[in-house]
Amino acid sequence: MQSKKEDIFNMVLASTVHDMKNSLGMLGESINFILSQIDIQSLNPQTKDYYGVVQYESSRVNNSLMQLLALYKLENNQLPYNPNYVNLSDFLEEQKIKHLPLLDAKNIECIIDVDEAMEGFFDDCLIATALENIIGNAIRYTRQQIKISCHQNSSTTIVISDDGPGYPESMLQMEGGYMLGISQSTGSTGLGLFFAQKIAEIHQHKENVGTIHLSNGGELGGSQFEITIP
Amino acid sequence: MIFNLAKKRTLIVEDFAEFARSVRAMLHSMGATHADIVYNAEDAIEACRNNKYDIILSDYNLGSKKDGQQLLEELLKYKLIKSNCIFLMLTAENTSAMVMGAVEYTPDGYIAKPFNGNLLKARLQKSIEKKDTLHPILRSIANKNWREALENIEKILSEHPKYRMSCLRSKFHAYKALNQLDDALRLVTEIVSERSVPWALKGIGEIYYLKKDYTKSMDIFKTMTTEFPMALEGYDWLAKLQVKLGQPIDAQETLNMAVQKSPKALGRQKSLGELAEVNNDISTMTEAYRSAVKYGNNSAFSSPDEYIKLTTALTKQLSEDSDIISDKITNEAEQTFEKLKNNFSSTHSNLLRSNVAQASFYSACNEGDKTKEHLSQSKKHLAELDEQISADVSLEMSATLSELGEKQFANEILNEAIQQNLDDPDFIRKAAKITDNKDLIKTSQQASKHNLQAISFFKNKKYSDAISAFEKAHKLSPKNINIRLNYVQTLLKQAQNQTDANQIIEKADKLISEMPQLAFSDKRYSRYSELNRLTQLMLQQHQ
Repeated sequence: MQSKKEDIFNMVLASTVHDMKNSLGMLGESINFILSQIDIQSLNPQTKDYYGVVQYESSRVNNSLMQLLALYKLENNQLPYNPNYVNLSDFLEEQKIKHLPLLDAKNIECIIDVDEAMEGFFDDCLIATALENIIGNAIRYTRQQIKISCHQNSSTTIVISDDGPGYPESMLQMEGGYMLGISQSTGSTGLGLFFAQKIAEIHQHKENVGTIHLSNGGELGGSQFEITIP
Repeated sequence: MIFNLAKKRTLIVEDFAEFARSVRAMLHSMGATHADIVYNAEDAIEACRNNKYDIILSDYNLGSKKDGQQLLEELLKYKLIKSNCIFLMLTAENTSAMVMGAVEYTPDGYIAKPFNGNLLKARLQKSIEKKDTLHPILRSIANKNWREALENIEKILSEHPKYRMSCLRSKFHAYKALNQLDDALRLVTEIVSERSVPWALKGIGEIYYLKKDYTKSMDIFKTMTTEFPMALEGYDWLAKLQVKLGQPIDAQETLNMAVQKSPKALGRQKSLGELAEVNNDISTMTEAYRSAVKYGNNSAFSSPDEYIKLTTALTKQLSEDSDIISDKITNEAEQTFEKLKNNFSSTHSNLLRSNVAQASFYSACNEGDKTKEHLSQSKKHLAELDEQISADVSLEMSATLSELGEKQFANEILNEAIQQNLDDPDFIRKAAKITDNKDLIKTSQQASKHNLQAISFFKNKKYSDAISAFEKAHKLSPKNINIRLNYVQTLLKQAQNQTDANQIIEKADKLISEMPQLAFSDKRYSRYSELNRLTQLMLQQHQ
């Protein structure tokens, strides 16, 4: 009986998310359009803050829903996995561009450090959805800078670091079980990290499985997120 | 590279007007002066007939009719866009469109909505750069000049390693088109040994299929459905191979899995219905054709087929299962006949087929008068028939009529079909099982033999020998269209090679003008019309 109840909940949840996704899509498009008409530098500091909030929160809600939908599909074996060779410089540049209005509004510098010819093999749509949340959070918690870099040996690792206060100790200890981390004080659910981990795990090559890793310190002294794809 | 949209003509295909306008505003801010907006795929096709666009930005979900992928396929198939046109697909969900990872026609990129102008600009810039670089290859491919394409591929591969995968994919297509199957196989096998790239994996299976190594091909598609369970094309291939290897029940299960993941594909639902009929699984058959009717509604790909088949399935339910709630079934069948009448043109062949199905249905309802009425309507339409009926439809009707006890009527249709389709061995095998006219089968087989012999004469440029062999085949089977068209083509060829050709051309003219009319949708129609045009032309020249 218990499982039946959960089935219904899952179904309702998926349909609701779909409905919300459509409304939110239109909302997001409209917000984007309105924001694109505004010259950020002409705004007074307080309005500028609100501008940043609208940018950040609207893309966060959208991204959360996207993750939820993807996780639902993953659970039901319906998440498309379509890997290909991807030029990392182009790919990471695009991830930065998605956040450009927010970066501008908050006056944050985003450095991309990657060899122009470097190529990875992964599903760019899935990895992009995972990174969108991570980069969004980095922008939210950093002081002045974030850095996106990439290195390769037999696998590809994308690193996102900032100069903010770093991850709380409790989060660092959660490695592998991020979904348990609903924190009442910060409101952080760990959904983004849980999703990133799931997406990493979809990527397999020979015996190796994709992973994520969190640490503090890193290149800019703040938090550092790493996703490794075999 | 200088990025300038001022001279580029852009088309936005988007059913949500506000969003279309906001995309246009983004393009304007990049310097574009010419951006058209349409709200559905049909209008997009019309717009592409009238204008040559450099860039098309299309939403993937375009309301209930064709989606963005179908639009792209149609534009490419009918050559309505230039070979260097950029097509970007806008998707509401990051992943929805990616269901088709290994499909034949892929857009130049996907952009997840909502997006900002900066992202669109970056994407356009990159796409233009890539397309400009690859253009020599794309042009050769559009002209089907595969040798030249291979040369261009080698050149671009060495100069632009960044576009390696696109080049290799084109190379694979070129090898396949040139029938260099071993080269094609080596290429995709190498790619897959490195990394499991969906299109390359599918390519291996395709080449094994072309080499008639069905077992190996099946193994590949089994791997594909496990590794990429959402690449639905893999299931279609797997099912096709399972049928080929005599496993129709497994094939049905395979298609069933694909249909559950994505129920909207009309063609796949029809294939599933067909298999379920073979397997005598009437409830699956009903469900599949029911979905085909539902999702085919309004689509350019819908046909009377799925409507008739749905009523056939419902009729079977009525006659085989006494527990069934017959009112509901009866209503659905009658509604389906009604929709069939409203949605398709009233040609004699459509009406013949529909009346035969209705006769069968009312017979299952034990309504004798209505059965008789539809049978007599059928006979009327058969008498006035002015088009060819396809082999499958003929088989379907004669089987139905036999079951109704209309032996003679059934044979009339079948025998006609045998004469028209004797060069289709699959059909003749099926027909031989149900016809009681064994002589006709024998005659047809003889005609087929002469036809094959004549074709080999033709290939060796022995046109006189070919003509006498075609004459024999034609005499034995005057109603066969292919033999007749082969014969005409050979006569015209011979006429070009000799000075006094009047008689030969007149013979060709007689053959082609006395031919039964072909439906415009018939596969052979374009060949017929070309030969007819040539005949008339030569006739004029020699008068």
